[in-house]
Amino acid sequence: MDERIYDLIFICRPATPEEEVNKIVATLEHSSGEHGGKIEKTEKWGTRRLAYRVAKHREGFFVYMVVKSTQGDLIKELERRLKVSDAVIKYQTIRLDEELKRQQKLGKHRERRAGRRPRKQAPAAPQQPAQQVPAAAAE
Amino acid sequence: MPDQPAPPAPPESPSPSPAPRSEGGHTGGPPRRSEGHSGGGGGPRREGGGPGGPGGGPGGPRRGGKRQYFRKKKVCRFCVEHVDFIDYKKVDMLQPFVQERGKILPRRMTGTCSRHQRWLGEAIKRARNIALLPFATEL
Repeated sequence: MDERIYDLIFICRPATPEEEVNKIVATLEHSSGEHGGKIEKTEKWGTRRLAYRVAKHREGFFVYMVVKSTQGDLIKELERRLKVSDAVIKYQTIRLDEELKRQQKLGKHRERRAGRRPRKQAPAAPQQPAQQVPAAAAE
Repeated sequence: MPDQPAPPAPPESPSPSPAPRSEGGHTGGPPRRSEGHSGGGGGPRREGGGPGGPGGGPGGPRRGGKRQYFRKKKVCRFCVEHVDFIDYKKVDMLQPFVQERGKILPRRMTGTCSRHQRWLGEAIKRARNIALLPFATEL
């Protein structure tokens, strides 16, 4: 299986101590290592207001991770662990590699088109679009 | 001499149009339209469908008002910025496309192109699932 990229977000109860959150992150890292995956990035967004009540809480501590894996079982395992832990009230995993691939493809396509454009049009006009497009692609 | 009359000519051409307007009456309507739009085809069509048959005076200005109303063409915001991927984590970016009660705004309101609306809808739904955006506001 190809390598896949996932976004994993989980929300802890607002009263959870920081150590507990770190412990959960550590266990996730450990189990991802066991299943031949890797956690690329971990971001703690801190306590944020929830858009709706979850488990009677209006706020939650958000943790965001990027997971790389070649085995689908890893996600199953990570979600099982999150489900089991008491501090976590909500989690979501999203597979992103296909969308990132699409994004790259579109970016390349646009670059190619931008490169072609100056030859077709008058010399004065294409300079502006050519400058704008790389700037947008860099974003 | 030939140079001098040329500049005043443009101001003169619009001036006749107000003149018949001031005259008013039933006969004033049709020429006004033809002058305003310079489109010969538009004139007769509007005459047929126009509700101003009985009262040329009040009907004329009303029709004129309708014609002056031009809807600004809406442009897809994501196309302008060359967005290839709409991130569900950036709530600030999604917020303008959601109604106060949490509904996704239709394309006809925002001018988003169909491709980006599709991506946008997906991103909003993902954000809802992880409590970044509301499904519906609770009171």
